[in-house]
Amino acid sequence: MVPPSSRTEILSLFRSFLRSARQFPDYNIREYAKRRIVDAFHDNKTLSSPSSVAAAFADGKYQLQVAKRQALVYSLYSPKTKSIMDIKY
Amino acid sequence: MAAVPVTCVRLTTSMHNNQIVRKNSTFMIVPMGRIERGFPCLRSSRFQIACAAKPETVTKVCEIVKTQLALSADSEVAPDSKFSALGADSLDTVEIVMTLEEEFGISVEEENSQNITTVQEAADLIEKLVEKKNETA
Repeated sequence: MVPPSSRTEILSLFRSFLRSARQFPDYNIREYAKRRIVDAFHDNKTLSSPSSVAAAFADGKYQLQVAKRQALVYSLYSPKTKSIMDIKY
Repeated sequence: MAAVPVTCVRLTTSMHNNQIVRKNSTFMIVPMGRIERGFPCLRSSRFQIACAAKPETVTKVCEIVKTQLALSADSEVAPDSKFSALGADSLDTVEIVMTLEEEFGISVEEENSQNITTVQEAADLIEKLVEKKNETA
C-alpha cells in the first residue's frame, strides 16, 4: 500500500514536469506541454479522495517519463531552423 | 637584474688639448626592468549587501507576478506582498518561480523554492544566484 503523496511530492513532480517541458526544442510542443501540465494540475487540485489523488499522481509520474523520453528523442532529430517565435528581435 | 660586465669603455673626446679620457668600469649593473605589480585587482572589490536587491530586479519580478496571476496593470504589487495574499496558490508559486528561472537564466533549488513567499524574497534569491553565476562564469 503506497502512502498518500504529500503536497511537497506533488509540487516537486510539477517542477520536474515543467523543467522537462522546457527542454523540447520545438516551440509548439513546448508551449503545449507547459499549458497542458498547468491545466492538468489545476484540474486535479480539487480531488479529495486519497485513491484518486494517488491515481492522478501515478499517472503524472508515468507522463513525466514519457515527456522526458520524448524531449530526448526530439532533441536528437531537431530541425536546423528554429520556429519564428523563438527568434527574438 | 642583470649584471653586464663592462671591462673597458673608451671614450675618446677630441678636445683642443687632445686629451684622451678613458672611462674604466668593471661592472655595470643594468636594471632589466622588473614589472612591479601593484595591488592585485583580481577580485571585484564590490561590497555585497545581503539584504537589498536591485530595484530593477524587483520591478521585473513584480511584472512577472502580475502576468502570471493575471492581475490588472494598476494593482498594487509591493515588494513585501505575499504571493498568497495576491491570490496565488502553491501551484501558482511554483509556476512563478519557474518563470523567474527562465527569465534570469538561473536554477533554483528545491528547498529554496519552498521558502519564497514574498516578492522581496524572490528578488533577493535571484540576486544571489545571478551573483554566483557571474562569479563562476
